[in-house]
Amino acid sequence: MASADPFDSALDLLRRLNPKDTSRNVSLLCQIAPSLTEDLLESVDVPLSVKRCSKTGRDFLCCDYNRDGDSWRSPWSNEFEPPIEDGEAVMSSERVRKMEVKANDAFDVYRELYFEGGISSVYLWDVDDGFAGCVLLKKSVSPGGKGKAASWDSIHVFEALDRARTAHYKLTSTVILNLGTEAEALGSMDLSGNMVRQIEQDMPVEDDGSHVANIGRMVEDMEYKMRNLLQEVYFGKAKDIVDDLRSIPSIKETEKDKATHREMISKMGR
Amino acid sequence: MPSNSEALASFVESAPPGELSNVTNAINTIAGDSSLQSLGPALEKYNEEQFTTVTLPGSSQPVIVSSHNSLGEGRYFDVESQSSFAFDHTTQKASAVQSYALESKNADLIKSILKSLTTHANEHYPSSSLGVYPVQNDGAIAILLVANKYSPNNFWNGRWRSHYTFSSGQLTGNIRVDVHYYEDGNVRLLTEKPVSASLSSSASASEIVRQIASIERKYQEDLNKAFGSLSEGAFKGLRRQLPITRQKIEWEKISGYRLGQDIGGGRAR
Repeated sequence: MASADPFDSALDLLRRLNPKDTSRNVSLLCQIAPSLTEDLLESVDVPLSVKRCSKTGRDFLCCDYNRDGDSWRSPWSNEFEPPIEDGEAVMSSERVRKMEVKANDAFDVYRELYFEGGISSVYLWDVDDGFAGCVLLKKSVSPGGKGKAASWDSIHVFEALDRARTAHYKLTSTVILNLGTEAEALGSMDLSGNMVRQIEQDMPVEDDGSHVANIGRMVEDMEYKMRNLLQEVYFGKAKDIVDDLRSIPSIKETEKDKATHREMISKMGR
Repeated sequence: MPSNSEALASFVESAPPGELSNVTNAINTIAGDSSLQSLGPALEKYNEEQFTTVTLPGSSQPVIVSSHNSLGEGRYFDVESQSSFAFDHTTQKASAVQSYALESKNADLIKSILKSLTTHANEHYPSSSLGVYPVQNDGAIAILLVANKYSPNNFWNGRWRSHYTFSSGQLTGNIRVDVHYYEDGNVRLLTEKPVSASLSSSASASEIVRQIASIERKYQEDLNKAFGSLSEGAFKGLRRQLPITRQKIEWEKISGYRLGQDIGGGRAR
């Protein structure tokens, strides 16, 4: 690695260290290299924290996109918790806030249909030639008895650029999935991590309602794909690697079977 | 907050199998050359706890580095090759190999266990390194097995570690599995299973290894079951593959969902 960039190295390090400790490791890296703080907080996804909206009593999710200093904006009331004293917070335009309200209602339905619980929050903001936003979903379960807690956090960050009768969407999705189990026979088992995927797409737009539907479809398709991918990596790939380390059947027997099989096939081919 | 050097040491401790040099390279770039000098103790701890393997000059068989075969001052011994060597914890290289004669009242048993364990390992581990050493002032025998498979081109690496202590007929220890998958993400499997079994205090090497073989087989079967039950249980409980309606959402009619059916619950928590 020739003259590597400290920020790239920090991201590389976070991709290698235990994903369960990402939040802690990000703050340690900010302590060691304070100049990386802003970039790291902006680009590293960590499990979402939850705050209660004092106006509506509903929970909402916090990320860098609804943060102003030590306050977070509730999507339900459009107000910061705790309130920002100097009242100088940058607020979205009326058009974007209207879409944000619609999107929050729509993803509240989505959340109930797919997660049967959990919390959702959507934040939108103005950018040149369109708007940008993030869709956040979180569900945690803490089973009784000896089982360990499990959690799903999805963070979908997108940009929608307006063109004539269409819009160009760019979506980056991260899912953080933590699973663990503990039992007498098994000891402890922890399966945690995150996966990231990106997609770009043009879709027709009639009015601002189309934007909400387009983003909904994109997020729904992406989560469908990512759920399958997580299933494959967590329960297929991880198990295959364990089987590569140790084989339950005797390796000699397996090789013998394989050789017999190869011989049969070559005979059939003749 | 921990100090910077404690933080860097915690990064080393959590380095995935086969990726220690990637982790130290990154630390080097972020915190500077000088930071690596403070990492000496952390690297030693990592190598000894992870049963790091090293190929001795003039040999092809990798041998284990651990606290159980440490001679102090950075030297370690290996029973099979009857040699001792100096180990550099930063470069993970061995040097200054000398012949080493095992001195232990259990020397015969240790050598027999090593032989039986080699047969067992060849049956079930495509690639592994073993170590059997006298420990606790020659009052017990440590039995170590480590199996690594690194596939960085496919973005995954894995390690299986078994560690047993045999003393007065008691076999105790633990099995740990560490798997890292990092293509467009970072997924880690970490397991630890404490094990124990009672044998007779005059148990033979083959009896001890037979017990180990049965413990390890049982553990791998339990682990396979756990993959299945996590997939069918906790994972399904977090997010459904499709809504109860078995259909994807009709986003144009999304506002109707709330009117059409009582899906509430989102407000109450």
